[in-house]
Amino acid sequence: MASAGGPARVNWPGLVLFVLLLLVWEAAVRFGLMAFEFFPAPSVIAAGAARLAREGILLDDLIHTLISMALGWTIAMVIGVSIGLLLGFSPFARTFGLASIEVLRPIPGIAFAPLGLLLFGFSLQTELVITVLPTIWPVMINTMGGIANVHPRLTDVGRTLRLSPVEIVRHLLLPAALPSIVVGARISLGLALVMVIVAEIVGNPAGLGYGIVREQQAMNPELMFAYIAVVGCLGIALNAGVLALTTALWPASTRGTS
Amino acid sequence: MLDPIFECRSAGVTLSLNGGTRPIITDIDLSVHEAEFLSIVGPSGTGKTTLLRMLGGLLCPTSGEVRVKGELLTGPPDGVVIVFQDYANALLQWRTVAANVAFGIERKLPARECAERVEAALDLVGLSKRADDYPWQLSGGMQQRVQIARALALRPAVMLMDEPFAALDAMTKAGLQDELLRLRDQTRTSFVFITHDIEEAVYLGDRVAVLRGSPGRIESIVEIGLPSPRDQISTRQMPEFLAYRYDLHRAIGHG
Repeated sequence: MASAGGPARVNWPGLVLFVLLLLVWEAAVRFGLMAFEFFPAPSVIAAGAARLAREGILLDDLIHTLISMALGWTIAMVIGVSIGLLLGFSPFARTFGLASIEVLRPIPGIAFAPLGLLLFGFSLQTELVITVLPTIWPVMINTMGGIANVHPRLTDVGRTLRLSPVEIVRHLLLPAALPSIVVGARISLGLALVMVIVAEIVGNPAGLGYGIVREQQAMNPELMFAYIAVVGCLGIALNAGVLALTTALWPASTRGTS
Repeated sequence: MLDPIFECRSAGVTLSLNGGTRPIITDIDLSVHEAEFLSIVGPSGTGKTTLLRMLGGLLCPTSGEVRVKGELLTGPPDGVVIVFQDYANALLQWRTVAANVAFGIERKLPARECAERVEAALDLVGLSKRADDYPWQLSGGMQQRVQIARALALRPAVMLMDEPFAALDAMTKAGLQDELLRLRDQTRTSFVFITHDIEEAVYLGDRVAVLRGSPGRIESIVEIGLPSPRDQISTRQMPEFLAYRYDLHRAIGHG
């Protein structure tokens, strides 16, 4: 986390290259170097995005996607943190539980899409089935690792300062594991966005993901690309937002975490 | 002499490891008195840390008994606190220096008294100006002083220290040694101080206990008759200092 602490720094060389690539793309399309029927120039895509925004469709789709993502992520956080804590604190639970987790974890979340469709049809529920399952893992694994890897010395400290076992968990083990849990939550949030878009493409006809498909089928490539660009910007904004929030809440937690 | 704070009668600890059991220390007879500085030296593997963890109530004696102010020891006793060697693991990295020092007392005392004690403890170790820093912003010596301040804030009767200066450079170490002796005089706290450094044991100790063997037992206890206050230069040059040093090296089995 290079940007932890101070205000986010702008990576000027990186930005310059990105703008240059856009210009090359623009020029290539305009001068006929790339002459695909469904490959519009960036300026055309931007105009399309502006039109979508004016008509209010974009905002509706954005809100749907954000709500689905927040719901899916929240459910995954509750499940992931709870099971992660259980596994972290209890070697017994690890002995019995880890095998099941190792079997379930490699299954790509999208493999559950047909199941979701079968159970809930083209609905928000299907979207959540597809989103929640894969989103659980990062936060669960990081929570478990965070707890299990707390240095045993902290428990000694708690005991010699005469804290009760509950106080040791609350004041020593949980805070010590927090940076790791926060990292897991961030990875899960990024994954939740990806899975919501996937779910909207294959499952629930709503939101930004469906917007991409809809405009593709309507032969509006500039609008399709506009949706893709919005999804990209959303990902960047979410990550920056979470990072800023974490740094503000726990100044110490973003130091030296990986 | 007054009743001792600590009294061990043929105390021993046997740990179960990998299915088997191994005696770590055995037949420990030891007492610690008020404001006394007891050093414990011994080669590695003689159970010094186990002995200290037993005195601190983190391990229960599996034979014999340990009494603290007359009470049988069953868990970490009131008024006894351990200062660990690995200060980086022992400090709460997410709390400031002041919040670390407050950690042992904040749930038991009203906020105002707690703040006063934290201030006093930081003052005693000379860290008042760093109260709002985080541990990782301090040098190793300062971090160890934070741990000592956290123990002092409890106003303990006994501080148990497990090679607290082993990871520090010689100059920092000398400064902290003198700080401990000053604290002992100011607060009348007793110290049990584990070290593998014989000179450190003699310089600090009123008595030095030698732990030896496997399982470890107390080989001998030497009264150190050096004048107080001690001085890093003149005390260490005294013929008596060198004689104690020689005797203890022999007792440990060197040369």
